[in-house]
Amino acid sequence: MISENLTRDISRAMRRVDAVDKSEGRSKYISDYDFKDCLWARMVRSSIPRGKIKNIKLPQLPQGYYWVSYKDIPEGGHNYLHMIATDWKCFADDRVLYVGETIGLIVGPDKTKVEDLRDLIEIEYEEEEPAVSIDDGVACKGGAFINENNIHCHLKLEVGEDVESVFKRCDRVVGETIETGFQEHVYLETNGACCVPESNGNYTIYASAQCPFYIRKSIAPVLNIDPEKITVKQTTTGGAFGGKEHFPDVLCGPLLLAAYKTGKAVKMIFDREEDIENSVKRHPSKVVFRTGLDKDGNILAMDSKVYYNVGAYLASSYVVLQRGCFHVSGCYEFPNFRTEGFGVATNTFPSCAFRGFGAPQTLFAIETHMCHLAQMYGIDPLEYKSRYFIKQGDTTSTNGKIVEKVMIPEMLEQVLKASDYRRKAKEYKAGSGKGIGISFYNHGGAFTGNGESAIIKAKCRLHKYPDGTVEILNGQTEMGQGFHSILPKIAAHVLEIPVEKVIYKDPDTSRVPDSGPTAASRSTMIVGKLVEDAARQMKMRWDKEEEFEVETNYQHPEGFPWDQGTFQGYAYLGYGWGVCAVEVEVDPCTGEVTTKGVWSSHDGGHLIDEMIVHGQVNGGVLQGLGWASTEVMQNVGGHFKQTSMSDYMVPTSRDFPKQECFFVDNPYEWGPFGAKGLGELVFNGSAAAYIDAVSRAIGKRISSIPCPTEQVMLYMLDGKNIGEEL
Amino acid sequence: MEAKISFKLNGKNVSITTDPLRRLLDVLREDMGCTGVKEGCSEGECGACSVMFNGKMVTPCLIPVGAADKQEIMTIEGVRETELGARIVQAFADGGAVQCGFCIPGMVIAAYNLLQDNSNPSDDEIRLAISGNICRCTGYDLIVESIKLAAGRAK
Amino acid sequence: MSMEEVKCYMPETLEQALEIKSKVNAIILAGGSDLMVSNKRTIGLTPVFDRPVMIVRNLSELKKIYINDKGECCIGAGCTSSEIAASKLCPWHLRQAANRMGAIGLRNSATIGGNIANASPKGDTPGPLYLLDARVKLQSLHGSREVPVSDFIVKFKTIDLHDDEIITQVIVPYSEKDFDYVFWHKVGTRKANAISKITVSMALKFNKDDTVRDFRLSATATGSKTNRSRDVEKIIMGKKISNALIEEVVQAYDKVISPRAMPEFRREATRRMIRRFLSESERHAKGKVIETYDGYKMPGAIEPEN
Repeated sequence: MISENLTRDISRAMRRVDAVDKSEGRSKYISDYDFKDCLWARMVRSSIPRGKIKNIKLPQLPQGYYWVSYKDIPEGGHNYLHMIATDWKCFADDRVLYVGETIGLIVGPDKTKVEDLRDLIEIEYEEEEPAVSIDDGVACKGGAFINENNIHCHLKLEVGEDVESVFKRCDRVVGETIETGFQEHVYLETNGACCVPESNGNYTIYASAQCPFYIRKSIAPVLNIDPEKITVKQTTTGGAFGGKEHFPDVLCGPLLLAAYKTGKAVKMIFDREEDIENSVKRHPSKVVFRTGLDKDGNILAMDSKVYYNVGAYLASSYVVLQRGCFHVSGCYEFPNFRTEGFGVATNTFPSCAFRGFGAPQTLFAIETHMCHLAQMYGIDPLEYKSRYFIKQGDTTSTNGKIVEKVMIPEMLEQVLKASDYRRKAKEYKAGSGKGIGISFYNHGGAFTGNGESAIIKAKCRLHKYPDGTVEILNGQTEMGQGFHSILPKIAAHVLEIPVEKVIYKDPDTSRVPDSGPTAASRSTMIVGKLVEDAARQMKMRWDKEEEFEVETNYQHPEGFPWDQGTFQGYAYLGYGWGVCAVEVEVDPCTGEVTTKGVWSSHDGGHLIDEMIVHGQVNGGVLQGLGWASTEVMQNVGGHFKQTSMSDYMVPTSRDFPKQECFFVDNPYEWGPFGAKGLGELVFNGSAAAYIDAVSRAIGKRISSIPCPTEQVMLYMLDGKNIGEEL
Repeated sequence: MEAKISFKLNGKNVSITTDPLRRLLDVLREDMGCTGVKEGCSEGECGACSVMFNGKMVTPCLIPVGAADKQEIMTIEGVRETELGARIVQAFADGGAVQCGFCIPGMVIAAYNLLQDNSNPSDDEIRLAISGNICRCTGYDLIVESIKLAAGRAK
Repeated sequence: MSMEEVKCYMPETLEQALEIKSKVNAIILAGGSDLMVSNKRTIGLTPVFDRPVMIVRNLSELKKIYINDKGECCIGAGCTSSEIAASKLCPWHLRQAANRMGAIGLRNSATIGGNIANASPKGDTPGPLYLLDARVKLQSLHGSREVPVSDFIVKFKTIDLHDDEIITQVIVPYSEKDFDYVFWHKVGTRKANAISKITVSMALKFNKDDTVRDFRLSATATGSKTNRSRDVEKIIMGKKISNALIEEVVQAYDKVISPRAMPEFRREATRRMIRRFLSESERHAKGKVIETYDGYKMPGAIEPEN
């Protein structure tokens, strides 16, 4: 049970533990460390999207300089990185499947010399025709290279009657395709890592990373050693957003082999251009809807085909696709619903985790499709959407039930009032240059179904020292989201000690238990609860024992079945929920959009810290707005066209106005003090609200993002009018 | 080619014999130990490496160290020791301006650059003043609020 | 790439700089905002130049702004974008462009001389400089010459600079005071810290009888260099503005520009901005500055002096 007086206190903002050190420039990020006798490594990569490596011509390497490639992998070692799937090669061998694929490392003591040598390497390829877009991949352009059809992974979900038979009795069945583009994370700190061989034959990895235990597990097979022989120490991490969930493995695998070969510490730091061109992105998507309606516009059945551009290797993408498919029905319950997901293989840099993990794409798609359906019948999108809002006890797209109370009506009221939506929606005529849009979204917290108990098996320890300080021991990382302030706050709150008495260091895999990845909006919800429980146990023994440890293990609540084979049952026990409204003005001369207001309300359960949550909302909402507007990332012929921060446009302080944020208090039964996941949720909805607003302002239907100025102009010139038949 | 280059760094005279075409950013980080100066983009776009150069904010990734000869430079390591700099740091901590922190030393410099000339800036002026500093975490709102907080705490 | 170390000169006076230039054709590095990026390698590495370099960032002779006896604004080539934006002596169009160039930290480094010498079709200052008939002063040990900026920039990334010369000054004969209406609008890749997708500069003065005495128009990022066409401007000179005449100007200017990327957008935005400016001028809109639509206020916009 949640104690009333404690919950009232915990939300109150505290000063983050890392704020002063970071502001003063004292926090040490990976590039700030000096490692003794350290060699410098630079990656040599494929410059073509698909083909065979005919020959690699290396320059004469001076003493102390090394070329490291798959040929250096010792007997018994594997040339694969384990990143959920085990298909991403540590080094390309005889063929390459995307531009930027690691071929080898040039390693040596002098940075300039290493770079000079790298410039002299010549690689001869036999080029093959690449597949770049989703359409290319599906069409097996250049011949399938994954399975017989270029489909890495596939799933199908059905609720209610067979949609095809329902379509037959519909007044009409309309189709629409919604698309989203690549998105680059642009964490301000680029990727970097260092591998140090220890005298006992073990290795220590220092890395800017989200998931230290993932790295260990992923790269140990390269040397065919026990993961325990690798210690991973996270260094202060300058942003991640999913981009440092699995991707650090791609640096650390080769670095491990280089340290093995040279017997020295080897460090690699990406520069920005290198990082943008050669790192994972958000999956581009294409969602094809077919919706059956009666004569009044009521939805009788909906079919959706979800295509994600996975890139050359599967890695974590099947899970991303699953989450995408679980979220394609949005915050709605439809009577009959079918979705089929396809992870499409292409010769682009493999896509991976990015805040939202597949959910933002399908949520954007359903929100936009719902708007267009409403407009076709001359109904305000808000009114139309509200007919289908899902409630507690309703059926989800995986035939589970919504367990919690859904507070969308309360959240909507807050946003409507603050934004004056109803008046503006009526007053701003389509094409008037002014528009307001609204979106609804959710995000299933933590791993799907019983994954937390079946796969992750999170553990957490609390250690009490004789001086009354308490150390939290687990693998969760601080990457900016505030978790290293949140968790001590939870422990301190239960133990009724000052938060300064709680120690929580950046994880070192040799001394903390594996509490699972820092991902999936699970840290507060799952690990926070483990700490709360551990602290409660500790409190009972506090006075009696001077020094002791408490360990807690995750237990999945009974009565919410999930079948990972068929994807049937309770996909998530707790969702975060969100409502967002955006108001814009469009320049009739240029198509430039000026955003006049951004309002949001979120349900993150009972909040652990108002200020940290406020920062999460602002940042997540803004990233979503960037994804919808200026963040254009094109891939032409297998090459990313935007390669620097001067051509990949993330929002500045001037691009969007101050946001107004609201929350509802909706304590979650299985979360610490009633909290649930929120970090990804806050990304999931602003894009749809923005596009709804822009679309109304110009009176044209918009069905793909990003939608930068020039695209707005093209829509103004010859887009389809709002309300036209789909 | 090497040359002796002398400049004032955080109030102290320093000199170094080095290639004058090396980036000032690298000299500050590698030779002067000023690792609070962060490299985010290498092309003057992100503001993470911002420092004060003769009293004005610049991005030292764009400046050859030869151009710093006989000039005055202040990095976060110096700014944090000033009354205004310390006030900004404390306000950033209290106002929730900091998340991953990588842009923050540069952001503190941008705030310092603004507040040294304008002790009571409007929201708009603050947003302009930090518009060359990219932050991917915060959405800027709490940074703006924190700069206002710092301004309000002036004695 | 040759890794030979190149020589770097650090003159302390303009005279020393000119002397070095008379012997060595060194690359002039002022702010560094273009050269340090285009020649960069990776983190921690020294940029590589294919010729000797001369750093002129701190030469005080290149930093002055004043009005000469002909009433022309003379801007030292080493003046930064921030200094130009802040100087009330500088013409409004140029101040606006300088104020919206890149990031603040960059504006405190980037110089007007460098921006011209870079000869990028997306450069921020050439638009206003073409519009206002600006000239560059080129100095060598043996003397100096003045060349219109529009001739000095020969084509994409090519300038008319002799090996022994340094750009020392930019002279702008016109300012907003010479016009009844002015327009400057940059469509950036975002709202701040942006590269131009297209920028249009315009100015217009009426005769007493409402016929057009002077009309000028330049556009950047619409071809291999900044575009201005006196022939197009002539269409409207001496005449009263009418819708038919506006369309004639719009269509004629459309033939002048040759955008390669995003052509439909760049052409249409240009057409719409010209129509807007001329029709607002024709109806004698209030104020001197015409915006792209009523009620639009550019953040951080600079007010014209007169």
